[in-house]
Amino acid sequence: MAEESFLTDDFLRQLINVGEVDILVGLPTHNNAKTVGSIVHTIQSGILRGFPRERAVIVNADGGSRDGTPELVTGVSIDDLRPASNPYALRTLHSISTKYASNPASGVALRTILAAAELLRAKACVVMSPESANIEPEWLSKLLRPIYDDGFDLVTPTYRRHKFEGLLITNLLYPMTRALYGLRIREPYSPEFGFSGRLGSQFLGQNVWNDGTGGAGVELRFTLAAITGKYRICQSFLGEKDHIERRSADLVPVLRQTVGTLFSALEPDFPVWSAVAGSQPAPTTGADREVLLEPLRVNRKRLREMFSTGVAELESVFQSILSPSTLAELQRIARLGEEEFHYPAELWVRTVYEFAASYRKSVISRDHIVQALAPLFRGRVFTFLMENRNASADDVENNIEGLCLEFERLKPYLLQLWKSRE
Amino acid sequence: MREMIISELSQALHEIARGFAHFLPRLIVMLILAFVGWVIAYVVKAVLRSILRLIKFDKLSENAGASQLLTTAALPSATEVLSRFVFWVTWLGFILLGVRVLGILGLQEQIARFFLFLPRLFVAMFILFFGLLAASFFSRAALLAAVNANVPSPRVLSLALRSIIIVFVLSIVFEELGLAEQTMLVAFGIAFGALMLGLAIAFGMGGRDLAQRFLEKRFVRGKKEENEDELSPL
Amino acid sequence: MPLNRDVLWYKDAIVYQVHVRTFHDSNGDGIGDFPGLEAKLDYLQELGISAIWLMPFFPSPLRDDGYDIADHSAVHSNYGTLEDFRKFLGSAHDRGIRVIIEMVLNHTSDQHPWFQESRSSQHNPRRDWYVWSDTDTRYKGTRIIFLDTETSNWAWDPISKSYYWHRFFSHQPDLNYDNPAVREQMWNVMKFWLEMGVDGFRLDAVPYLVEREGTNCENLPETHEILKELRRKLDEQFPGRMLLAEANQWPADLRPYFGDGDEFHMAFHFPLMPRMFMGLKLEDRKPITEILQQTPEIPPSCQWCLFLRNHDELTLEMVTGMERDYMYDTYAESKTMRLNLGIRRRLAPLLDNDRRRIELMNGMLMSLPGTPIVYYGDEIGMGDNIYLGDRNGVRTPMQWNGGTNGGFSTAAPERLYSPLIQDPVYGYPAVNVLRQKASEHSLLNWMRSIITVRRSTGVFGRGSIEFLYPANHRILAYVRRLGNEAVLVVNNLSSTAQAVELDLRRYKGNIPIEMSGKNMFPRVGDLPYPLTMGPYQFYWFRLRRI
Repeated sequence: MAEESFLTDDFLRQLINVGEVDILVGLPTHNNAKTVGSIVHTIQSGILRGFPRERAVIVNADGGSRDGTPELVTGVSIDDLRPASNPYALRTLHSISTKYASNPASGVALRTILAAAELLRAKACVVMSPESANIEPEWLSKLLRPIYDDGFDLVTPTYRRHKFEGLLITNLLYPMTRALYGLRIREPYSPEFGFSGRLGSQFLGQNVWNDGTGGAGVELRFTLAAITGKYRICQSFLGEKDHIERRSADLVPVLRQTVGTLFSALEPDFPVWSAVAGSQPAPTTGADREVLLEPLRVNRKRLREMFSTGVAELESVFQSILSPSTLAELQRIARLGEEEFHYPAELWVRTVYEFAASYRKSVISRDHIVQALAPLFRGRVFTFLMENRNASADDVENNIEGLCLEFERLKPYLLQLWKSRE
Repeated sequence: MREMIISELSQALHEIARGFAHFLPRLIVMLILAFVGWVIAYVVKAVLRSILRLIKFDKLSENAGASQLLTTAALPSATEVLSRFVFWVTWLGFILLGVRVLGILGLQEQIARFFLFLPRLFVAMFILFFGLLAASFFSRAALLAAVNANVPSPRVLSLALRSIIIVFVLSIVFEELGLAEQTMLVAFGIAFGALMLGLAIAFGMGGRDLAQRFLEKRFVRGKKEENEDELSPL
Repeated sequence: MPLNRDVLWYKDAIVYQVHVRTFHDSNGDGIGDFPGLEAKLDYLQELGISAIWLMPFFPSPLRDDGYDIADHSAVHSNYGTLEDFRKFLGSAHDRGIRVIIEMVLNHTSDQHPWFQESRSSQHNPRRDWYVWSDTDTRYKGTRIIFLDTETSNWAWDPISKSYYWHRFFSHQPDLNYDNPAVREQMWNVMKFWLEMGVDGFRLDAVPYLVEREGTNCENLPETHEILKELRRKLDEQFPGRMLLAEANQWPADLRPYFGDGDEFHMAFHFPLMPRMFMGLKLEDRKPITEILQQTPEIPPSCQWCLFLRNHDELTLEMVTGMERDYMYDTYAESKTMRLNLGIRRRLAPLLDNDRRRIELMNGMLMSLPGTPIVYYGDEIGMGDNIYLGDRNGVRTPMQWNGGTNGGFSTAAPERLYSPLIQDPVYGYPAVNVLRQKASEHSLLNWMRSIITVRRSTGVFGRGSIEFLYPANHRILAYVRRLGNEAVLVVNNLSSTAQAVELDLRRYKGNIPIEMSGKNMFPRVGDLPYPLTMGPYQFYWFRLRRI
């Protein structure tokens, strides 16, 4: 059967010239000219320091940049055509680039990187974010060593982060994946992660690529595939996580990428997660995650307002998604004033589980279900901020742990919802 | 005289008998047609019902909001309604066929018109169903988008969108049915115009806020970000 | 076959390096000698080499393999007489083979009569033939070369109660080249051998002739002056003879030893050799192309000497620390294989006795710009014995056949100067000349054929080189050109098959003809020229425009 390859001939030629490698660094980009130059240099020194003898390659999958990003990546190859490029490098270090589409799509980018890794028979691979301004050369070793030396298949990062950063992860993604899949991975969705060639090939062969969304949120899918495939997973502490600008990404697309992906994975993964009880810690190298506590001014009022408006305005939508008791409870707290407002953990967990079950049953358009979660998430964030306003790092950790246990405790409820209308 | 009466009577009786004899087989044919029609309609209904159940038609109609409509009208589920409707249309068709056999003048024409009308009826129902589906989907999409964008009065917006689509769908349906075309055109014009006016006023009033916020965001941005940090969800 | 009269003969030469002691023993005393070597000249002629480089054969206490000379104008009695040498030289010349001998200018043995006189009293006329001092603190900036054995460059002489200077072992005092009498005497020594007919000298340890306070005492201008004077005398009195410098230096530091074509004719390219081994292990041409990019242009009459292995350790002085660690870990896992800053192993064991790799390395040796040197025994893939001390493991007797003592000597085995290699893989019953001569596909016969191909054209010895840099970094490709002649060389450094596309637009219209089989390949066009290379495969193509 002749199937059109998604790899261009030119990219294939570049891969032939690179040949077999031990280490592959994937770098998905789209208009990252400002940062990508320094990031590629950091990656190179990470390879030269951590893996001076290994055959390595940097593979850039570009989503149609117009600012010359690919040229910045390929321009720094270490080879004998550029004698002054790096006298200390033992080997040639290719930096190659391919344009996978004229629009960015993280799924296609990852697929390109995985295909390159398989064709080059890379033993250990890492995907790096083109935006992390504070990436250190050591990150390469931290994400790759456990795979290259210790036989792990997936290395997810942990960071030093502010206690109020990554709230979707701490309030939903981490606790829910942990409760359902039984492994405590702090950052199941991260722009940086390391993986073995084995896992990469297995995931490349899975049928997750043609869902028409361009594979947004595929990184989470990748983590889940590693868990369900019983691959060896560990976490590695990298350091401070920082993006060029600390911007609040638009919530709805983020929910689609993450929560939508998680919900849709639950259906095929049912045999796995329905058999899991409790959770196991994932092995961790380096320091444990660290929490920053400096004060942060947040517009809490707006969060609560959007929650209340949402609950009131979306009543008809929620009627199809939520159980009457949960909806009634939400409507009750929506009427509370700012001081007594509280979105308790248990109610939040019920909400999320009912959303997941309704998502599966497609009571209304699945995309609408994910969108409808946004105002409720804002309400939960408000409560989280209030609860942890003066909390120490340990307190925050305890609160998150409490939420996780709540997710684990109520898991039978999800199972019951799952089976109810079968 | 008596004989004449008798002869007339007997002749009349004769004619009645003859007429009756002439009519009886047709009646029997009609009854047979009606019965066969009932059987066929029943089978069609049963088949249709199982097909609709198989494709989860109820869920579709629930999504379209049609189910809600049925519940308020104390009607059974959409599958039931549709299959019964098909049953009656089929049976009625057969009965009318039978009636035509009776050869009653005038009725023939009406029956012919009924059969000509059937396809259009189906198309109209089809349009109505998917129209309602689209109205419901788009209005909900608008509602969610409005809520998440923190636009004021999302429900009004959503309702307006829904009404526009429904009115539009209805006008197409009526045109398809060929019922009171002129009246419907005028009615649609009035309804649409009223809606637009209403929306224009609503947007004008609410838009002040929106415009203000937009301008604020654009020009007083720096100041706002100084005041508060935004949280990144990931 | 008489000698040709070309004064640039050394540019086309293929040199065979051998120690007379190791080659063949004619009198059954367990030590090779000149009559024995002479008897094996037919073998060398058949191999196709055009010059022999002899290791020191002078009278010596042999504490440094003869580099500690005790008499410059005689032959060590172990190896025969001066007359034996003269006969050997004549026979070699009759076969068209030139002879290059060693000359150690920098120092003598402490047994040399000159040193005995010099140390006998502080007032002896030969006292300042050597470098004496009352303290051991002069020339502080000078490094110590033999770190494993020496702690200082000064040694105490208990007889004359002062220190003498030595850059190498303490039993090798340095001559004082500031003394004109020393310079005159050394030229007389060289003249002695030139008059006998030797074709060239390999001058040992040339960077260290002169010492000056405040310098590292290496490569000093005064040293160059002395060497230039020697060359001048050589050209005046013995045209067509050759000087080869042994100076383990970076190419840029070596460049002055060529002068303007008025100092040395040839010099060893030391940094290239370890990088060839490294490139092969890394499967990456970068180390090789980079060192050749850094190699300066030399005068047209001059030539680099290339070698894969020699009588010393595979020296790792000319590599970075990281590269050295890599070389140690990949080529000398066992500590006993290491010596000083190097690896004391022969070619075949270094390459795991992999015939394809041995051929590839020899192919590069013969096709890169320079005069190749073949170390005796490597043409049959001889092994080494790392349990013999110092560098003796790579100096075992030549293996001629599978009989007694491998055909090297008729002496009792325990009388031999060194035991033969005995292990099952490299031992003389398995690896020997007789057996390989009989087998058409033996390494020996392969070497003969590649030497024949190399000698079929002057382009390898005298041509220019242009690297092609295909994007596949496992492929080392270059074009050698001389006049109208062009040869394309493509080497696959990888253990796996590789596809490569060469940019040959400059040679558009040429037909590549593979030089060993003489078969044609498709004509070069505008498009990149595609080649498929098997593991460790190499091609030499003559580019012909017909």
